[in-house]
Amino acid sequence: MLSVPHQQPNLHVQQAHGPQQRHFNPYTENGGTILAIAGKDFSVIAGDTRQSEGYSIQTRYAPKVFRLTDRAVLAVNGFAADGNMFVKKVRQRLEWYRHAHAKDMPLRAIARLIQTMLYARRFFPFYVYNILGGIEEDGTGAVYSFDPVGSYEREACRAAGAAQSLVQPFLDNQASTAKFSTSRTIPLTEELRSLSFSLSAELFLSGCYPIGNQTLVSSRPTVQTNPYQSARQPRMDNAIYHKWR
Amino acid sequence: MSIMENNGGSVIAMVGKECVAIACDLRLGNQALGVSSDFQKIFPVTDRIFLGLPGLGTDVTTLKELFRFRVNMYTIKEEREIEPETFAHLVSSTLYEHRFGPYFIEPVMAGLSKTPSGGFKPFIAATDLIGCLNFAKDFVVAGTASSKLFGVAEGLWEPDLEPEDLFETISQTIMNAVDRDAYSGWGCIVHVITKDQIVTRTLKARMD
Repeated sequence: MLSVPHQQPNLHVQQAHGPQQRHFNPYTENGGTILAIAGKDFSVIAGDTRQSEGYSIQTRYAPKVFRLTDRAVLAVNGFAADGNMFVKKVRQRLEWYRHAHAKDMPLRAIARLIQTMLYARRFFPFYVYNILGGIEEDGTGAVYSFDPVGSYEREACRAAGAAQSLVQPFLDNQASTAKFSTSRTIPLTEELRSLSFSLSAELFLSGCYPIGNQTLVSSRPTVQTNPYQSARQPRMDNAIYHKWR
Repeated sequence: MSIMENNGGSVIAMVGKECVAIACDLRLGNQALGVSSDFQKIFPVTDRIFLGLPGLGTDVTTLKELFRFRVNMYTIKEEREIEPETFAHLVSSTLYEHRFGPYFIEPVMAGLSKTPSGGFKPFIAATDLIGCLNFAKDFVVAGTASSKLFGVAEGLWEPDLEPEDLFETISQTIMNAVDRDAYSGWGCIVHVITKDQIVTRTLKARMD
């Protein structure tokens, strides 16, 4: 939520005394962290669900990971209002693409689309850090990360947001120990799939509370969206959480 | 830019099973300019205590000598070696003496303290630049890569690591943390302190 500085309108008519300046800051930072890991034929993308402003928690359940197509998921961190509007606009473009071409847009094309959409707002940017995860046309798992004005790169793993500095070096480490080579994907095999999935969950359990809204993208026909349950998961007695899950 | 980040550098200490480890990077810089890749920030205090001093380069050198002097004075007066807990309080009070014009250093200490039964107990501690002590049971971090060190250590560390495993854990932690920090890196040194030996290893790191 965006807050406007409180200022009482001046009801008295006063004499002019030099120029006056008004200002309005159209941005705020809503905290949170997102991450994604690319595997050989899958990718994992996750985000916490807390939305905050300063030290205040606005809500404990505002997901910032969004399904775009059967093979693409977008996580959006930064200014929540911009994030939601940006996802809305991306989805609209993807729908137009479906109508025009009778198929889903491929992942690398979505990545380029996101770049042009972000750069179109070069001088009034969406204040969001995007991470796009999914499956490429050739079946490989992929992660694309963006800055707010559209500079992007395909990577093996990426974290963004409030805990980026804590999570990113840990992901680097786990990526390198999983026989990470010069490739942009981690050649994880089937048995390491669940490990990688629980890895991202563990990250959030140790770093954030609560955990929620994790999406596993798989090249298999069915796309799983069941939330991960861990022995260490804190008790969820928030009625709203269960309602929206 | 902050005076704490002027020269860069990071230190971490971890507890293991009847052992402790402490590691630092080797970079000394002037803001973004790299100046030295052989600037150690960890110094031996006794046979069983090491002190890491990340922060302003000039204060690293000053405090290293100041603590050497004060520990020597303690040893002469008491006619025994200083214990890690005592040394931690010496560090703390020395820094607090300069409460309103501090040394820009965040010390990290690691050592083995004597138990009444004649054994040794792992000890680590860290303070902020005015000497507020933090006795942690798992690990302590300081320096320009501190948040990165925290993230990796939180993910890799586990209780009761044997010396070899503790070495691997602390090495992976510092290497991966400083590789994401522009102000740290250029090589690392790791000390693993056990009751009958100290193993010191130099790690080659990315130079880009």
